Amino acid sequence: MIQPTVRPRSTVAAHPITSAAIAILVAAPVFATLYSPIYSRITPKIGDFPFFYFYLLIFTPVTSLALWLAMLLQRRPGQSGDAPREPHGEVAK
Amino acid sequence: MSHVNATTFTIVLILFLIVTGAGFAAARWRRAENMMHLDEWGLGGRGFGTLVTWFLLGGDLYTAYTFIAVPALVFASGSIGFYAVSYTIMVFPIIFIFLPRLWSVSRVHGYVTPSDFIRGRYGSRGLSLASAFTGILALMPYIALQLVGIQAVLTVMGVGTSSTNTFVKDLPVFIAFAVLAIFTYVSGLRAPAMIAFIKDTLIYLLVIVAVLYIPARLGGWGHIFAAAQAHFAAISPTTGKPVGTFVPASKAIGSTQFDFASLALGSAVALILYPHVITGTLAAKRRNMVKRNAIFLPMYSVLLALIALFGYMAIVDKTTAAEVKKSGNAQLAIPYLFQHMFPSWFTGIAFAGIIIGALVPAAIMSIAAANLFTRNVFMEFFKPDASPRLQTKMSQWASLVVKIGALLFAVELPHTFAINLQLLGGIWILQLAPMLIGGLLTRWFHRWSLLTGWLAGMLFGTIAAYNVSSPTASHWASSSDIEFGHSIYIGLSAVILNLVIAVVLTLVCKAARVPEGTDETLPHQYTADPERSPAPVPAGVGLGSE
Repeated sequence: MIQPTVRPRSTVAAHPITSAAIAILVAAPVFATLYSPIYSRITPKIGDFPFFYFYLLIFTPVTSLALWLAMLLQRRPGQSGDAPREPHGEVAK
Repeated sequence: MSHVNATTFTIVLILFLIVTGAGFAAARWRRAENMMHLDEWGLGGRGFGTLVTWFLLGGDLYTAYTFIAVPALVFASGSIGFYAVSYTIMVFPIIFIFLPRLWSVSRVHGYVTPSDFIRGRYGSRGLSLASAFTGILALMPYIALQLVGIQAVLTVMGVGTSSTNTFVKDLPVFIAFAVLAIFTYVSGLRAPAMIAFIKDTLIYLLVIVAVLYIPARLGGWGHIFAAAQAHFAAISPTTGKPVGTFVPASKAIGSTQFDFASLALGSAVALILYPHVITGTLAAKRRNMVKRNAIFLPMYSVLLALIALFGYMAIVDKTTAAEVKKSGNAQLAIPYLFQHMFPSWFTGIAFAGIIIGALVPAAIMSIAAANLFTRNVFMEFFKPDASPRLQTKMSQWASLVVKIGALLFAVELPHTFAINLQLLGGIWILQLAPMLIGGLLTRWFHRWSLLTGWLAGMLFGTIAAYNVSSPTASHWASSSDIEFGHSIYIGLSAVILNLVIAVVLTLVCKAARVPEGTDETLPHQYTADPERSPAPVPAGVGLGSE
């Protein structure tokens, strides 16, 4: 099935691959912190920090980064984040 | 108590006076032509940019909860307290998905509160009232937590009289709270927005200094972790079980991984439902600012993680640990740690930071609760044609009443773990998840099923929390209980019950063709990004105001 290019798109919906990437970028940090067995361990130690504590500290910037990428992917070409979202001509890539 | 350190006390007092001045001066900040309008008093004119929103939401998220309650739990029980770090990470993707949608639809329709949205989405006054009631109720213990935080700092400072009467003993706390109440009344949301700058400057300074300085004095991070690990592995003579856990354990009784994860998920979902977080969000100027904040706010979570680790430092520092043990109040761990580690002038800065860090969210929370009362109780049921001026007056007074309610929570509930005040609020606010989060995604749920599910969740959650006892408190002792063999956050089990009922009854209602009510929102409005609010006078959710 080929996606019809004339379908009206919301500001969130994008190319299916882009959409999937956005979904993964947003869902991954939730899963990674929610499923505690992944990181609920003392070893390996990173420096003086047991793994559990290091993991939680490091996941904070990782989450920021993931959401930032997700926001970039949500932007259409030619649109800055601040510009009012006007209906853009749908250009098939 | 011990004598008051003059240097510490003077610095706290000066910073408190500066903040009070800023609170009153804030009324003139970005002054609108007509301040007597709920969009102005209650939402700061809906014109805050990314940075102010960042400070404002940061002020919402990082409160006395962060500085007093979380380290207290870490100090006493170990790794379970780190659920708060896990929660403040997973909350941002959740914010990123849902709050821009709420911002958009609220901007298009001029909604001021989450209950305005529920009213518009489901065409149901009952559901709107239920959500407003829940919001106000849930905010009271959360505000009370801020009070307990201020109290902890003042106790360690030695401020306070030795009277056994609660109100006399805690007079300084009440004075601080009264000052807060007055400048909130005068300046509305502008006051906490402005004070948040001062607060965060102090807090960042404090945490950076503390993280560099305290571990060095205590023998390094390696020593701190090793000592904490040994401490929690020791068997408690009273219970015969380990004192706590160093990492969430899979089989240990007490703080299991399941408990850890359910507390984190429950708190994360609860956060975006809290009226004060929604107030902070709706005050943003543009949709993208909400998203950008989801990206930048995790910066604060790094602070939270570091502050939580102060709980371990308090264990390692023998003087602090002994003092806390003597007082029998884990909430004092961080104030004592700072007092023993820092010179008295820096202790003053640290204490002022914590006190101000409690005042900012308390102000935002009382404004949010007041807006709920005015818009969704007073106007909805008593005076639909209230002028913007009357609405604002009503909110100003309601913000005072809410603070008195919070005082009652602070006085009545056991303080063994202040964090329970926040978790108790979480149990209630989580019951809005099906109607609010569900409503942002779909109109599938039927309004009557949502109302029934909400009622069941509220009853179950309240009764379950009331029945939890501990050796020190007969009721309200904890926010987790055992369900199906796992220790789990009551808020989460209650909302699952709520959701199941909502789904089943929706199917029944649809089959029986019960009227669904009108939905005044349109799908594209959930992603809209209008530059301005709809009209100078926001439409009172279909109730013509003027």
